[in-house]
Amino acid sequence: MEHTQMWKAQTLEELVQILHHLFAGDKVNVAEVQALMDSYDSNPLEWMQYAKFDQYRYTRNLVDQGNGKFNLMILCWGEGHGSSIHDHTDSHCFMKVLQGNLKETLFEWPNKKGIGEMMKKSERVLRENQCAYINDSIGLHRVENTSHTECAVSLHLYSPPFETCSTFDQRTGHKQKVRMTFYSQFGERTPCATAVLQENN
Amino acid sequence: MCRHTQTSPTLRSGLAADLASRRSAETRRLVLSQRRLPGPLPPGLARWFPALEVLDVSGTGLAALGSELLSLPRLHTLLAKNNRLGGPGSLPKGLAEAPLLGRSLRVLNLSGNRFAELPAALLGLRGLQSLSLGSNRLHSIPPEIQELRSLEFLYLGGNFITSIPPELASLPSLSYLVLCDNKIQSVPPQLAQLHSLRSLSLHNNLLTYLPREILNLVHLEELSLRGNPLVVRFVRDLTYNPPSLQELAGRTIKSRNVSYTPGDLPGNLLRYLHLASNCPNPKCGGVYFDSCVRQIKFVDFCGKYRLPLMHYLCSPECSSPCSSASQSSTSQSESDSEDEAIVAAHRMQKVLLG
Repeated sequence: MEHTQMWKAQTLEELVQILHHLFAGDKVNVAEVQALMDSYDSNPLEWMQYAKFDQYRYTRNLVDQGNGKFNLMILCWGEGHGSSIHDHTDSHCFMKVLQGNLKETLFEWPNKKGIGEMMKKSERVLRENQCAYINDSIGLHRVENTSHTECAVSLHLYSPPFETCSTFDQRTGHKQKVRMTFYSQFGERTPCATAVLQENN
Repeated sequence: MCRHTQTSPTLRSGLAADLASRRSAETRRLVLSQRRLPGPLPPGLARWFPALEVLDVSGTGLAALGSELLSLPRLHTLLAKNNRLGGPGSLPKGLAEAPLLGRSLRVLNLSGNRFAELPAALLGLRGLQSLSLGSNRLHSIPPEIQELRSLEFLYLGGNFITSIPPELASLPSLSYLVLCDNKIQSVPPQLAQLHSLRSLSLHNNLLTYLPREILNLVHLEELSLRGNPLVVRFVRDLTYNPPSLQELAGRTIKSRNVSYTPGDLPGNLLRYLHLASNCPNPKCGGVYFDSCVRQIKFVDFCGKYRLPLMHYLCSPECSSPCSSASQSSTSQSESDSEDEAIVAAHRMQKVLLG
């Protein structure tokens, strides 16, 4: 039985350091990582340099590459911005709200033929500092900022890192592979050179 | 002029004194949000902060902004979300006519207030680039919205809007239009005239189909349609009213290129002839006026999603050959859709759907 240690990250920098330690080996203790992410009290002064908003859609801003073991990034959601229904390409996904609120809707995988309305499993609203976890065996999800007055910011950890995923049409279950891009990396704006199809919003 | 009988003069003079003590000729941003403002902006504000460009009074409980606002000579951004604005007198009279503010104001955020209609006071703000009225109580968008000639960003999500006026399409620079979380049942085809539109948010409305003209929005990169009761199955023709004699005559004039001059016809018939629409069936060169067949065809956007688009065809003979066949999609209707899909794919490179 794995021993789950309780970590406390006082700052974002400390969080990154402890994450490097937790991902040093081959095994991921999901409960430990989730508890660590939970423990960090969001302090905007520590992450605002990564929080670059776009008026048209949500942005993905890379914070740390975890020695190739994980990607840590900050997502910025303007009012009304949302993602498509997507999977996580066989990786772990941790999502912590740093500011505002995010609605997460869980979906069942569509049947093999990809015909028919997708089945909603559940939905919840994640508040500031709450952390959620998902992987492909749990299902698919859509994340949205449903507020028309407030922005939202979230911290995401993916392990192993991935650059492509599948997005799904809720009405038909039809799926399509997409390549994800970063709006900024390590605090620097990194515009996309090519007109590559981005992840759905 | 709004009265705030419940606030004491002491509170108001306290705020005024506090602001006066912070007066500065250099201050460009003033953030008063999240503190309780006892009344409209105090007289003197423009004197104390003559260089003010950004004012944030969000979450202060304001029910009226007050006329002092009109004296701020350089203000370009006003954030007043999450307040109690919406009643008569919320916005100062003469806002758009204010000699300096009327031209300098570029960004106005009134989200999270109580406006039941788009305030007329705003309509003259010809320099306004960004307007947000999300989470209010709007039931409609006035056609006069087209007077906001500089508008690039319009956020109206989270209201009770039931329809979109075609005049909205006259805004030449509109690039971001948010109409999500409303009660919209149809999108006027004129919206396709918004050539600069880059992002259109229509999720959580009451749409069953879209006008096929939406394919003309070549710069559209984001389109959200989730949470609409969009039809997914092939829908047979809806009602067809046979054309009137006037319509048949009009069609003949147009399709045979019968020439006429303004002197030949009464004004109402000239205007009628001007309204001819071309039948979108590429195999038919006909036109129609009022009498047309509505048929829903499905178009793949970039091979991704099948969207129901409403087609207007000039007669039942013009409709898809398989419409007289069985209900389920046959290969023929699929191939018709594929032709459309190829056109759509070229025109909308990066349409993203949610």
